[in-house]
Amino acid sequence: MSSAQNSPYARGVSRRSLFRGAVGLAGVSALGIPALTACSSSKSSKSSGSSGGNAGAATGTVTIGSNGSDAVPKKAFADLFAAADTATGLNTTINTVDHNTFQQNISTYLQGTPDDIFTWFAGYRMQFFAQQGLLHDVNDVWDKIGPNFSDAIKAQSKGLDGKYYFVPDYYYPWGLFYSKSLWSSKGYTAPTTWDDFITLCKKMKSDGLSPVALGEQDGWPAMGTFDYINMRANGYQFHIELMQGKQAWTDPKVKTTFDHWTELLGYTSPGANGRKWQDAVAMVMNGQAGMCVHGLDQAGPQFQSAGKSDDLDFFAFPAIDPANAQDAVEAPIDGWMMSKKPKNHDGAVKLLEWLGTATAQNTYLASSPNDVAAASNPDTSKYNALQKKSIDFVSSAKQISQFMDRDANPTFVSTVMIPALQKFIGDPSSISSQLSAIESQKKTIYAG
Amino acid sequence: MRILRVRPARLSLHAFLILTSLVWLVPVVWALYTALRPYADTAKHGYVSVGGSYGVKNFTDAWSQADMMHFFVNTIVITIPALLITLAFASMAAFVIARFRWRYNVALLVLFTAGNLLPQQAIITPLFRIYTNVKLPNWLSDSGELYDSTLGLILIHVAFQTGFCVFVMSNYMKTIPIEISEAAVVDGASVFRQYWQLTLPLCRPVLAALATLEFTWIYNDFYWATALISTGDKRPITAALANLQGEFFTNNNLVAAGSLLVAVPTLIVFFALQRHFIAGLTLGSSKG
Repeated sequence: MSSAQNSPYARGVSRRSLFRGAVGLAGVSALGIPALTACSSSKSSKSSGSSGGNAGAATGTVTIGSNGSDAVPKKAFADLFAAADTATGLNTTINTVDHNTFQQNISTYLQGTPDDIFTWFAGYRMQFFAQQGLLHDVNDVWDKIGPNFSDAIKAQSKGLDGKYYFVPDYYYPWGLFYSKSLWSSKGYTAPTTWDDFITLCKKMKSDGLSPVALGEQDGWPAMGTFDYINMRANGYQFHIELMQGKQAWTDPKVKTTFDHWTELLGYTSPGANGRKWQDAVAMVMNGQAGMCVHGLDQAGPQFQSAGKSDDLDFFAFPAIDPANAQDAVEAPIDGWMMSKKPKNHDGAVKLLEWLGTATAQNTYLASSPNDVAAASNPDTSKYNALQKKSIDFVSSAKQISQFMDRDANPTFVSTVMIPALQKFIGDPSSISSQLSAIESQKKTIYAG
Repeated sequence: MRILRVRPARLSLHAFLILTSLVWLVPVVWALYTALRPYADTAKHGYVSVGGSYGVKNFTDAWSQADMMHFFVNTIVITIPALLITLAFASMAAFVIARFRWRYNVALLVLFTAGNLLPQQAIITPLFRIYTNVKLPNWLSDSGELYDSTLGLILIHVAFQTGFCVFVMSNYMKTIPIEISEAAVVDGASVFRQYWQLTLPLCRPVLAALATLEFTWIYNDFYWATALISTGDKRPITAALANLQGEFFTNNNLVAAGSLLVAVPTLIVFFALQRHFIAGLTLGSSKG
């Protein structure tokens, strides 16, 4: 016992003082109530944004939210907006936040003090925030930049209400990436049909290679394989409707997709759930694996960092149902959006109009050679072979998909599909029992 | 003979200690080893390999690419005021709780301590709303709100760290003989004088211990800096580390070098104050 407790100044805990403690606690929770009611009142105060005006005469400062935090994109953005200042007479300031935080915080960011324009992705991931009323439409920008883009890309820039909310900047294709030197030494050629693809896998296996490398630890890399098999087997329309929650996961067509994937898993590198996608690309780079389903934005920089850019090449995912051939291409588009209440609306419009030109996009791409300008007919004189190939690859596509995590409800993808795909890869036979669970969770999430 | 009997136990104890310290050291040493190698070498040979070139290029690259100087300054501007204000407030509250008897004595202690029981993440939504609705003049916050301001971040640390400090300090103050205070009262010392000139100097060990602990906690904060700051340039050093990661491709060797650099200040503070730190932790432990 301390002397303090024996003193007139303090005493032990009595029943009474414990009760007072409880009263004090109740007081704390009561304090929480006015804070909670503040939530609802603040919503009404966020009224509609400023109206359009004469963008041509706009001046002043425009703020830009960027997720390009690592060295290469950071420099690319700095160069881009230095050029923007000269071209538009505006004064741009870039707010760079690392991409992980930026993406995870997007909802808070948009409800807090967002920048006038910011980087984001096409597809449902953009439409979702437009539906929430957190974006300003950019129809007036599109009046001017419309002719610069193909119809497929235009379609990816509209919200569900038919208004434009997105200005495309660049895209990169997904495909089957491989090491040219390995393939020429073994005499492999790119298959165009599923049967040829499996034959090639068998040959690679007998050559002591892991035919298809996969690193699924982060949850998203395997989605590319699902998207492609599903589009090749069941067509683009079915795939997109499935992503939008309009088709059932219990449909036999989905089972067909997983049946094909199960066959492919027999040729996939073991332990995929415990590997990072970097490991998968490294296996291809080091000649331990034959190929991997990835995007140029992933395979490109890694080959580049190891000084092997020239050794990288890719081909289209093989056809499964001849009716769908190799028509659809998965090419996620990155670009710009305008926040609900930009401080300088006219300036933001003027800046977006400039960003929607091939000149601006190539300024950005000069220091980021793993993407391709979204505008049609960009100046390709500075493009490398893979960039040129990407343009042909995507412009010959009849339809463009974004990626599962961009085409579907984000909550559904992260809470249902990632664990489901990982479970499937660990144990392919689990899929028949999983599909009905996926379907019932989808119904709950898409309804909410 | 007796000494010989002790030996196997001692041997196994030391074997255990060496093994445990190895388990703790391996990740750090491996990070250091990886940081000294260029990416191309580890990509070719794997992370568990010897060979290729070694050098400090990753460290200099991490320093300049992540603009670390700028973010270290940000961290200092947040951590030091937050630390000083927390300790000042906590010592005052603890003094009153330890030395005065009034109606809501225990209720007050419960109130401060209960703040620690609440998971901080649980109240982020109302906090976010409050922060965006508190308007500030521009000279205090260039965002015009408590949200996205350094001041807001300092306040949140003060709010969440004070409770724990009050708890520790009030327990410590109760171990200081009350007679010292009584003597001061008899000599006519005011309450503030009893606090400032009498109690605080006696609290040096616990202040040093709390300062070390709180410095590490506030310094390492990533959560609040992420949730309540939207301007990249205002965020602390922990956020700068994330700037080294690419959207898809990440040079892990570079990140290892950056992480080691960021860990240095906490190590310096810990080693400088570790004697007080350990003394302060065990102080008051004998109190019933």
